[in-house]
Amino acid sequence: MNDDTNFKHPSFYPKAEPDNSHPISFYLIAWLALFILSALSYYIDYVNLEGMVRWVLITILALLKAGLIVSVFMHLAWERVALIYTILLPPILLIVMLAIFANDGNAINVLRYSLS
Amino acid sequence: MQDAELNQTFYEGQTIHHPKSWLTKYVFSQDHKTVAIQYFSLSLLTGVVGVILSMVMRLQLGFPGLFDISPDTYYQSITMHGMIMVIYLLTAILLGGFGNFLIPLMLGARDMAFPFVNMMSVHFYALSVILLFASYLVPGGPTGAGWTLYPPQVLLPGTPGYDWGIVMMILSVAVFIIAFTMGGLNYVTTVLQSRARGMTLMRMPLVIWCIFLATVIGLLAFPALLVAGIMLLLDRLIGSSFFMPDIFQFGQHVTNVFGTEYEGGSPLLFQHLFWFFGHPEVYIVALPMFGIVSELISCHARKNIFGYKMMVWALIAITAVSFIVWAHHMFVAGMNPVLGFFFATTTLIIAIPTAIKVYNWVLTLWKADIHMTVPMYYAVGFIFTFIIGGLGGLFLGNVSVDVELSDTYFVVGHFHVVMGISPILALCGGVHHWFPLITGRTMNNFLGKIHFWGTFAGAYLIYIPMHYLGLGGVLRRYYDFKGLAYVSDSLHDMNVFITLASIVVGLIQFLFLFNIVWSYFKGKKVEKNPWKATTLEWQTTTMPPGHGNWPNKLPTVHRGPYDYSVPGASEDYIPQNVPLEAETEGGSSHE
Amino acid sequence: MNDLVKDWSSDVSTFKIRWSKAMMWIFLISDTFIFGTFLISYMAIRLTVVDSWPDTSQVFALHVGGTDVPLLLIAIMTFILISSSGTMAIAVNAANKKDKRKTGIFMLLTVLGGIAFVSMQAFEWTKLIVDEGIRPWGNDFGAQQFGSFFFMITGFHGLHVLIGVIYLSIVSKRVLAGRYDGIDDYQIVEVAGLYWHFVDLVWVFIFAFFYLW
Repeated sequence: MNDDTNFKHPSFYPKAEPDNSHPISFYLIAWLALFILSALSYYIDYVNLEGMVRWVLITILALLKAGLIVSVFMHLAWERVALIYTILLPPILLIVMLAIFANDGNAINVLRYSLS
Repeated sequence: MQDAELNQTFYEGQTIHHPKSWLTKYVFSQDHKTVAIQYFSLSLLTGVVGVILSMVMRLQLGFPGLFDISPDTYYQSITMHGMIMVIYLLTAILLGGFGNFLIPLMLGARDMAFPFVNMMSVHFYALSVILLFASYLVPGGPTGAGWTLYPPQVLLPGTPGYDWGIVMMILSVAVFIIAFTMGGLNYVTTVLQSRARGMTLMRMPLVIWCIFLATVIGLLAFPALLVAGIMLLLDRLIGSSFFMPDIFQFGQHVTNVFGTEYEGGSPLLFQHLFWFFGHPEVYIVALPMFGIVSELISCHARKNIFGYKMMVWALIAITAVSFIVWAHHMFVAGMNPVLGFFFATTTLIIAIPTAIKVYNWVLTLWKADIHMTVPMYYAVGFIFTFIIGGLGGLFLGNVSVDVELSDTYFVVGHFHVVMGISPILALCGGVHHWFPLITGRTMNNFLGKIHFWGTFAGAYLIYIPMHYLGLGGVLRRYYDFKGLAYVSDSLHDMNVFITLASIVVGLIQFLFLFNIVWSYFKGKKVEKNPWKATTLEWQTTTMPPGHGNWPNKLPTVHRGPYDYSVPGASEDYIPQNVPLEAETEGGSSHE
Repeated sequence: MNDLVKDWSSDVSTFKIRWSKAMMWIFLISDTFIFGTFLISYMAIRLTVVDSWPDTSQVFALHVGGTDVPLLLIAIMTFILISSSGTMAIAVNAANKKDKRKTGIFMLLTVLGGIAFVSMQAFEWTKLIVDEGIRPWGNDFGAQQFGSFFFMITGFHGLHVLIGVIYLSIVSKRVLAGRYDGIDDYQIVEVAGLYWHFVDLVWVFIFAFFYLW
């Protein structure tokens, strides 16, 4: 902690991680993958898959796309681990929120049916 | 660029613009200290209005009909009092005021990370306050649905301000959220990215930890309020029914602005969204006051805070758990009863880290060299009050007890002890403590002690009887209790007593404001670091610190924030920027 | 893991990135909560209502060449937004290589994509309001909250796209004018890029959960 000689002010930190030098083709592949995934989710609607299969597939495809965008386009995959965890932890709260809201929304629905 | 840390006009590649004219120095200032003072003064002025509104309510409750207060005025006062106190006073003063002032100074930074955004933040805050009070000017006056703004009541004809008051209220809150986000991004970025050399997170003063975590809570919780506000606004303005169910009033299906019927919305959804914000909001207010009290206790008891790391981890635990306790506000709202179990459990779990903090404060005081200065009075008073309030919370956190006590004065008493009196004590203690840093003068001790005893004792005279009222079944938000047989005469007398006590306590608060103004001009001038504190904000070369905070080099931190009464040291405190070997001969020094 | 602990216990700077980038990431987390809350509220209401939820592939069908193609417009919009995200990534890449001209050009392409997206959204709204008669307070297809949620969520997303378009055009103009030469190493392009990718990210979830579910 006391090796002040190695200190660097924030402005002297490396501007970006060295692997920003991906070739353009790298982004084109990511773009192509996103395009294929979108087409797949569109295809699910086109062939009219119903019920659980549809929902699970849609969610998985959406998460894959989101992961691709965040990790490749937003460069999160090459950021420092500290930043990755800081960004990925808070959305867990949204999952708690989702679970509770789903439970309660469902309960009200049941109540409404039982009353009508 | 090379001398970024040597030359105070450069700061991460940005130039710090020194103010040239009156306007840039006091209105459009980008100096975090000026922004903080702007936040302080604006929020205190707003708070004065809040106190006056509470007087209006108390007069009606104590002496029904005597003062010619209409039901509309009464309900509007409730709403505005709640909103002002929770959001426009406490959130603004604790994060905007204390946060802005202390973060850069205590971390050894020149300023906030984004001074311009910081300035915008306070201007948006001012705008939100203006919008809030402008709701008195629109037809129908401000909304009177209570500070929780529950639909469907808030949009039903008959509620004061159901047409335009609510629109103004939501606009004002939205602008406040923008202001808070701008400020909050600044605080978080500054804490994470621009600490002084040697200032690790575990060497940060606890108040910075608290403000940092409170800001994190705010950044994640305010979105829910924003979304709820937007949806409510759309219900009001474009006729959607997010929150409005099929509802009948006087046999008529209630219609929206376009004359079509509201149908199928879920009022409970609003409550969920509101409290997903509303409960973390309690901790947005509570954490900074924990932090302030930690500082006061450690400094004025001349002792290292007991269990610093435990304190930090308790704070982090509170931050995390505060997001999953919200529905304990909704036990009787008609929520799925199964969820009550979950939320009661998490509510009781969050008491654990909170209790850890209280134990640590008490253990810090144990066998310490306690100086009974005015800030110490406030800090000790805070601990008492907070424990009392916390015990009340245990009752309300359990579903079966809460069903009885919900919506009674027990609740009002409980949250005024926790969210009303405790923050005021911490706040006043903080202002007393840091006043010399801001002005170079101390506040008047005599007035301070009168204010402390008045507030501390008065709080019990007001709020303990309220707990009894609640146990007696008196419901809150009632305009008067005429013709309610179960409200006995003795409970009426208690209401009169509470009103008299609250008027006295309310007037005593003006003593504090008077003390600030008087001491600003006439207070005793003091030398640098009058409290002999260790944290960085007192170690600047000039007091009050100049623009840029540190005239030449940024300080370097060598030790933890609370090195008081270190054995073997020549003085009983060692500032954070003193090198390890400089002062101790054989003495120990702790992280 | 070791790096994680080391970074969090370091002095001065936790993430060792520029302040503006840290701020943008934190803002995006906050914004995630806004959109997350929007979508979760939508889920809660959709679960709550007793009326049936409209069949989206029928509502959003586009009449092309005599047949109804479901979600055609939405598919095109998705394609455009993803492509604009791709051009933005290339712009950021060029910025890191300090290629001023290429950065500016690809940012302008991104802006064009954004404008196309917003225009198509305007077309979609017009079609739904005028032809299909969908209103916030009701529609012919099912639960009346469908319309209000559609206008609110896509409206809020469209607002983000619009802000992004303005933001990116300002930055690209400054890049091309050489304002960031020498200083800053075009870091601001990366920050603007983060925002733009986030807008794309939100669209992924809106597409999945509102249009397809």
